[in-house]
Amino acid sequence: MSAMSNSNWSRRSLFRAAAGMAAAGTLAACGGNNGRSGGGSGDSLVQYFHAYGEAGTEQAVKRYAKAYKDANVSTQWITGSNFESKLFASLLTQNAPDLFEFHPQIQLVESGQVADLTDIIEPVKDDFNQADIQSHTVDGKIYGVRMIDDPQFFFYRKSLLEKAGLEVPQTLDELLEVAAKLTTDKVKGVYLGNTLQAVIRPMIWAAGADTLDAKNQPAYHTDGVVGGIKQMRKLFTSGDLLLDAPADYWDPSALVQGLTAIQFCGMWAMPVMQKALGDDLGIFPFPKVGDAGKPSVYNGGWSMFVNAKGDKVDEAKEYVKWLWIDQKEYQEDWALSYGFHIPPRTSIAQSAEKLKSGLPAEGVKLFSDYGHFDNIGWTQAMIKATEDVFADSVRKGGDPEASLDKCDKVVGAELKKLFG
Amino acid sequence: MTTTVTKARDAVPGRPRTPRGGRRGSVLGSTGLYLAVGVAALLFLVPFYVLIRNAFATDPEITGEEWTFFPTDIQWGNITEPFEDTTVDFGQSMVNSLVVGVLHTVGTLLVCSLAGYGLARIPYRHADKVFYGVLFTLMVPTAVTFVPGFVLVSSLGWIDSYRGLIIPGLFSGFTCFLFRQYFLGFPKELEEAARVDGLGYWGAYWRVVVPNSLNFFAAIATITFINGWNSFLWPLVIGQDPSAWTVQVALSSYMTNQTVNYHLIFMATAISLLPLLLVFLFLQRWLVQGIAQTGIKG
Amino acid sequence: MSTTTELDSAPSAPAKASPARPRRGLRGSGTFNFWLFTGPFLVGLLIFVYVPIGWSIWLSFFEARFTVTPSTFVGFDNYRFMLENDNFTGALGTFTVFAAIIVPTTWALSLGLALLVNRLRFMRAFFRSVFFLPTACSYVAASLIWKMSLFNGVRFGLANTVIGWFGVENVAWLANPDPPWYWLVIVSARLWLQSGFYMILFLAALQNIPDELYEAAALDGAKPGWQTFRYITLPQLRATSTAVILLLLIAAYQAFDEFFNLLSKTTWGRPPLVELYYTALGDNQDYGAGSAGAVILTLLIILVTLFQGRIMGFGRGEESK
Repeated sequence: MSAMSNSNWSRRSLFRAAAGMAAAGTLAACGGNNGRSGGGSGDSLVQYFHAYGEAGTEQAVKRYAKAYKDANVSTQWITGSNFESKLFASLLTQNAPDLFEFHPQIQLVESGQVADLTDIIEPVKDDFNQADIQSHTVDGKIYGVRMIDDPQFFFYRKSLLEKAGLEVPQTLDELLEVAAKLTTDKVKGVYLGNTLQAVIRPMIWAAGADTLDAKNQPAYHTDGVVGGIKQMRKLFTSGDLLLDAPADYWDPSALVQGLTAIQFCGMWAMPVMQKALGDDLGIFPFPKVGDAGKPSVYNGGWSMFVNAKGDKVDEAKEYVKWLWIDQKEYQEDWALSYGFHIPPRTSIAQSAEKLKSGLPAEGVKLFSDYGHFDNIGWTQAMIKATEDVFADSVRKGGDPEASLDKCDKVVGAELKKLFG
Repeated sequence: MTTTVTKARDAVPGRPRTPRGGRRGSVLGSTGLYLAVGVAALLFLVPFYVLIRNAFATDPEITGEEWTFFPTDIQWGNITEPFEDTTVDFGQSMVNSLVVGVLHTVGTLLVCSLAGYGLARIPYRHADKVFYGVLFTLMVPTAVTFVPGFVLVSSLGWIDSYRGLIIPGLFSGFTCFLFRQYFLGFPKELEEAARVDGLGYWGAYWRVVVPNSLNFFAAIATITFINGWNSFLWPLVIGQDPSAWTVQVALSSYMTNQTVNYHLIFMATAISLLPLLLVFLFLQRWLVQGIAQTGIKG
Repeated sequence: MSTTTELDSAPSAPAKASPARPRRGLRGSGTFNFWLFTGPFLVGLLIFVYVPIGWSIWLSFFEARFTVTPSTFVGFDNYRFMLENDNFTGALGTFTVFAAIIVPTTWALSLGLALLVNRLRFMRAFFRSVFFLPTACSYVAASLIWKMSLFNGVRFGLANTVIGWFGVENVAWLANPDPPWYWLVIVSARLWLQSGFYMILFLAALQNIPDELYEAAALDGAKPGWQTFRYITLPQLRATSTAVILLLLIAAYQAFDEFFNLLSKTTWGRPPLVELYYTALGDNQDYGAGSAGAVILTLLIILVTLFQGRIMGFGRGEESK
């Protein structure tokens, strides 16, 4: 670590020299510097958020920041698809954010990018959903504070199923049948997003398998998963699946605009859907795949991390503690006032009126009954490898065994790098 | 000197030339020609039409049951909507793009034309090797050197500044290459005349070469401005603070994670194209004749 | 112009010499003037282009995850990793297909447009503008129009509406790789964006062909139309064609934006840069492997360009000037 910062420093001074050269050799400064005031003062922090779509979220984040007295916290609100490239590029520089939201990723821990937050979480550890604590823990240390849990499941138009005399599907086979019967020349049966990426893990779990097992060994290459992939291929080619909708699965548009009767989406979109469709809305988990399967729900979400390589680690931790540990009012506001998310704090989740009745309560039940959380050791490279499996076998029609074998190779190499 | 100028004027596109095969010149052939061009032009205009249609429609109409060719109720109010948005300062981003675009263009023309002239016209033993060094940079995909380049620029403290947006983009191997090709074909007699007047390379360049190359400079300016205006990934990471966003970054922020606002995206895109159309309409008549004078000619 | 005087009076010996002996100015001090003209550009190129390139090459020999200042030297491991990576080598194949389609099509379309526009007697400026206009559009904007309105897979997409008139069912243009309609979407977007620019290049070249050549050909009995085109126009356009093809090849190799914006989570239709982005530079943050892939790609581009130059005589055209 010290060697690293040393080389950083010498490189930095090299660039200063280069800067001098550049200024002397070519153009001097042209145009003003309209950025933030150059660092130094210990009381200003920068945080990165991806752009949430729900109205009011950006203002809320800034309002919380403003209420904090010990530091001046400025927020960068970054459009969805640009978030990763901008976050990771910035983390390599001195202009890195002091704190940022992301998903638990073991490489962030291994590379020393995120700070250990055990000391601020420990006192309230028991009040957190234990699965959320576990998914942020490496070797007994907790590296991030969960802000919201986002269960993802199917939304459907009750009226359309009733009209066709159909029951809510209990198995993937039944989902295929229902989709076929609901499809008309105007409306497709079901929408899983344009790339199918969102249902990969739910399908693996619903087939009774897992991404990695407790010993961090691959657990996804089972007969159940192969069977599931074959069914998915059938659905993909059936003509009952909505493809190339203008907005992806995370956007409620496809269901709201009547392009599909059933859509895979997240709980966050529930308020928009309820507003548009009223009571004509129901939910169900990803149905079980094969006999050994079990319905599943993916509990995604976002967590706050502190940049361990920044020079204001303690200040950033203070802010995280203040907002995401102490200020329960803001935490509840964040989870429930805009879209619907489940607060990871048990005390908040239990007292939240909005989650106690109706469809939100059903969502919470699916979350607790069938929910699966992120596995911190399941890295981007592995996620991409399973996406390739779906691309090759579901969308392109290749042999599932062959593409899973290919996936095994990538995951194996990755595991070897991580765990030896 | 006069000879070249007239030669250049010969190439003015607006000036009618003897049409090729025009001796056949039948009404039929001419109708067929205009029919073909007309159809091609219509096809080229379809995406613009779609853009405008969506910009002035309501969201339900854009995603309606059926494709409608014209919005039934034109939403003039959509025009001001991007400027009223409180989360994105669209007006500021347009100003930033204009400032960056103009300075980027002026700077690129200055730096690259000088280099192109040096490479083409000034005798130096290793000029070829230097030229190959420039040519090499064309082959390296920019996306690849992107992150090291960004880390470097941020170590200079140029994040969120016009400097950071402009200076790293000035040194375009491609533009330098085009200038070199052009100056290779620049008539030697003109420089001879300058020599009689007792000018050095520097004086000859500014007093004789540049004034006689304005067409070409205008052509390159058009292309450079367009590229600068449209660049996205670099301004995205350099512009950390929304006050330093360019218009492309602002545009991308409309395509947020959830609930797509169709008409706003299309209207903002349409507005972002306007300055380019103005620049283009203003400069385009020099474009063809400017390029006609490059080395890459028949 | 104030820079002129400043630089001229800089306290360097050759600069002083040149105003003193003006008559020798153009001939003498070539070396000094060479660096005077090219210096600013070369310094910038060195800092903002060569340093990042060198940095990339250096990174390619290191295990560099989530860092660009790595310390673990791994030799050629990253190169082995990339060359054994089916997706990357497959992407190099994809590029070849893409280049084989897009280079001749763009060449033909832009030449065709130039020939048409060049024969127009009135409204020439109008049509030239129409064809050049898309050049002003960014790839981001074009992808948006293509994906959301022209080629979306639902009933209100323009393409689906048009084929619907003929009773054809809605097509999922991008999501379904079989049949590979996505090539139609991508190629049409790129043609629309690019052809206008190359048309201008051809138009310029066409206007440089001396009229006498056509007159002479007419005297020799060549029929206007195909014969004149084949024996006069085409050979006269040789230099421009060579340059256009070189530029198109480089552009095809470096294709990124429209693929990135139009196709996601696929294993097909990925040019090398997109593949590199996903394997290395995106969420995965493996700068070592990414840089190794970049070096491989650059070498390949150089090879193909040299090969093309050999065949079409790009170098010769220049030296004859």
